[in-house]
Amino acid sequence: MPFEYELPDVGEGVAEGEIVTWHVSAGDTVAEDQVLAEVETDKAVVDLPSPVAGTVVELHAEVGEVVPVGDVVVTIETGAESTEQALPEAEAADTAAGDGTAATEGAASTGDGRVFAPPNVRRLAREHGVDIATVEGSGPGGRVTEADVRAAARENGVDDGAVESAVTSVDGEETTEQRSAVRQISDDGDERTTATDRGGDATAADRDRTLAAPATRRVAREEGVDIDDVPTEKRQDGEPFVEPEDVRTYAEAQQAAQEADREALAAGDVTAATGDRAETVGGEERREPYRGIRRTIGEQMERSKYTAPHVSHHDTAVVPELVETRARLKPRAEEHGVTLTYLPFVLKAIVAGLREHPVLNTSLDEEAEEVVYRGAYNIGVAVATDAGLMVPVVEDVDRKGLLEIATEVRDLADRARERDLAPEEMRGSTFSVTNFGAIGGEYATPIINYPETAILGLGSLKRRPVVADDGADPADTAAGEVVARHTLPLSLSIDHRVIDGAEGAAFVNTVKEYLQEPSLLLLE
Amino acid sequence: MVVGDVTTGTDVLVIGGGPGGYVAAIRGAQLDLDVTLVEMDAYGGTCLNHGCIPSKAFISASGLAHRAGNAEDMGVFADPAVDMQGMVTWKDRLVRRLTKGVESLCESAGVELVEGRAEFASHEEARVVQEGEGQGAESIAFEHAVVATGSRPIEIPNFAFDGEHILSSRDALALETVPDSMVVVGAGYIGMELATVYAKLGSDVTVVEELDGILPPYEDDVAAVVRERAEELGVEFRVGERARDWEETDEGLAVRTENGDRNPVDATVCLVAVGRQPVTDTLNLEETTVETDEDGFIETDDRARTTHDNIFAVGDVAGEPMLAHKAFTEGEVAAEVIAGEPAALDYQAMPAAVFTDPEIGTVGMTEAEAREAGFEPVVGQMPLRASGRALTLDEREGFVRVVADSEAGFLLGAQIVGPDASELVAELALAVELGATLEDVDATVHIHPTLSEAVHEAVKGARDRSIHY
Repeated sequence: MPFEYELPDVGEGVAEGEIVTWHVSAGDTVAEDQVLAEVETDKAVVDLPSPVAGTVVELHAEVGEVVPVGDVVVTIETGAESTEQALPEAEAADTAAGDGTAATEGAASTGDGRVFAPPNVRRLAREHGVDIATVEGSGPGGRVTEADVRAAARENGVDDGAVESAVTSVDGEETTEQRSAVRQISDDGDERTTATDRGGDATAADRDRTLAAPATRRVAREEGVDIDDVPTEKRQDGEPFVEPEDVRTYAEAQQAAQEADREALAAGDVTAATGDRAETVGGEERREPYRGIRRTIGEQMERSKYTAPHVSHHDTAVVPELVETRARLKPRAEEHGVTLTYLPFVLKAIVAGLREHPVLNTSLDEEAEEVVYRGAYNIGVAVATDAGLMVPVVEDVDRKGLLEIATEVRDLADRARERDLAPEEMRGSTFSVTNFGAIGGEYATPIINYPETAILGLGSLKRRPVVADDGADPADTAAGEVVARHTLPLSLSIDHRVIDGAEGAAFVNTVKEYLQEPSLLLLE
Repeated sequence: MVVGDVTTGTDVLVIGGGPGGYVAAIRGAQLDLDVTLVEMDAYGGTCLNHGCIPSKAFISASGLAHRAGNAEDMGVFADPAVDMQGMVTWKDRLVRRLTKGVESLCESAGVELVEGRAEFASHEEARVVQEGEGQGAESIAFEHAVVATGSRPIEIPNFAFDGEHILSSRDALALETVPDSMVVVGAGYIGMELATVYAKLGSDVTVVEELDGILPPYEDDVAAVVRERAEELGVEFRVGERARDWEETDEGLAVRTENGDRNPVDATVCLVAVGRQPVTDTLNLEETTVETDEDGFIETDDRARTTHDNIFAVGDVAGEPMLAHKAFTEGEVAAEVIAGEPAALDYQAMPAAVFTDPEIGTVGMTEAEAREAGFEPVVGQMPLRASGRALTLDEREGFVRVVADSEAGFLLGAQIVGPDASELVAELALAVELGATLEDVDATVHIHPTLSEAVHEAVKGARDRSIHY
């Protein structure tokens, strides 16, 4: 009985994955857990281990192809007898003998003999030009499901040609998928697949109630999965509806996320897959596919910016003491094999600020209509890579010393550039920092890293003209000398639904305090 | 060619306003097609006027009379009198209401209604003839046509319907008085339903059937329950005998048979209900390339298309089983196909019912059919004498049987004989249509105390875990 491996959910907000490398080909024998392929999902590359042992029958996607979650990517012949095997072939069923009370002459049913599929699935097959009698069912007992029909339609539609044509067929496939998903959504005509819907795919859906057939619930029990956690976009009468394939996909995703190995991936393949930086041919238009990481970033940015009313607050910290402190500590750090930059100091100052102004360490749960005060200080550090912006997270900054933070930041940044980060390492932040100053510039209006409510941007730390405060009378309009001092420009963006400008300003004041007088950090 | 022809055009010409026709017309109009429906007799066709509806009305009335008069066990004593004319008037009134209903449904959907007989002039034009007149026939040019001309009762040699001695089912639903005695030729569902009606109304009924058993499409044990009850009602069965001819007598007539018991059957009237045949002779089909099979049914595919691309056929004229709900389905599909939708006749379940006493309701495969189709069937059967609700209805006979695929548990079919079998089978038709398994139905909670529990128990029985019997 051929086992059809459907692409599982392996990352937050993931609805598709791009095949980066195949480690097997048709005809290979594979063992259980053997890595079949590497798939790029969201911003991480994960391995696809095989859930079964057997022989690879067919690979259903090419390198560089973007595959929707739930689509079959590889078929493996396990040689195991299964109950699904026992379903009689369509040809064996004699129309005349088949159904005593069914129409015989003239009005024969499409597909000889019995077809075990509900009417909407049979109609889907017709719409896709798929002969449902030939579709292998993956539902309970071999029942044909929507996913089976779509997989069959994909098989019929995929070329052996270039990636572009494969992409087109997948895109066309996706639209159909969305259309049929839309058909299932209740009649208020809401066609919007909200970011929340898509984001719900991999993480536990955590509903109160789920519609599912009894057999589906049994599958959930067998897989040890709470049916209310199974992500689904399907609706029936407006209620979330789950089918056995959703349960299995979610269960597999849980396993895959836990078991995923990290391997360095062939840089060449990646570049080709993500759309390479082709040479600009002066004057002529050039196009790059908008997918993979670039698109994920784009969607995240869009969602953040169009959800949270962003307000920026700019200030400048005058930091000669910070410069001195770091200079003093640098050699000591190097003895421990650590390069000490300013960033660890900034992170600690931020934690101090968040402690005093907890409203900047929050998240807005719109559904529950609650402001969530996060219980930890996990700070995301934005890293610019060739593939785009990534934000690995340093967890529990409050509990780590400068050296530890420095080491961790360095490690995360390096691995980010090597595309070697696991999806978990880019999740769970409660506040973020973006150090565009490393490249240059003073102030910016950073976009908040959803679902946080604030982000701090750092300009370049260098000498700039400041007015020395020599205790002069503030009313004296002629007093004040301009001197050159090290300054660090700060740009704070806040979500004004949760945080008011005053609090933002107060937060920045606190952070400045700690940056301008680093010895205060010893008190933390 | 008739002088004074007026030609109009239409997207869809529906010929016949019975269940297949009016449904196709209304669905087509819903899909924004320009539809013209031509009916030569009465809207609603045989079903509404001379079949399904009137017979069920009689069945209810006669059933009520009989029940009330035979409920001493329950402590109810009555001796109902029946006014046949009153029954017929009541029946006519409700038929008229339904017929008018069909007409107004069509009109409000925007269907153009034309009275007359439509016949093909070519594959894109038809003529509507007003019987009895001959001039000024209307010509209709059509893009598509849906033939829904239905069926008529089969007449057997020597038994021409005369409405007096030899009755068709249509005549039998319009009698002025309850006949003292009646011979019913044909023990199919029509014959058995009407035999039951008149037996309950007090007639002395004899059923003559050519085959060796009654209700041929049904399994022996299913038919047996109905036969036993009919015999309790006083119906006499002569099976294995074919009606040969008849002669008039003082009482009414005497029907002579071949084979079996050679004594003629005396009765006041004779109802012949040996089957129905498709009506295609009104159509001038030769002007098209529409083909019929050896039994006269128009050949169609799973899109209700005939052998001529733009002509569809639905309902009785398109083949067995000759059921109004099959006509409904085909009518809808034909309209949808014409409108360009990906519709098809791919139903997995075509349920059927017989409104005898007790009723029969079936869907899908019997155990034998399942085996023949290559399945390894598992069967669950719950006798109604174990049903609490059946007992409270003072009913003891009958059973619910379900047939499923033992490997995967898919429901393949069901046979129910008992009170309300015609309603109870709907649940199983849904299960078969959805590709549901025994487990799915078993896990569904059924209300207590109802007859539907017997369905639940039969399903449990198939899984070897029945509780209540």
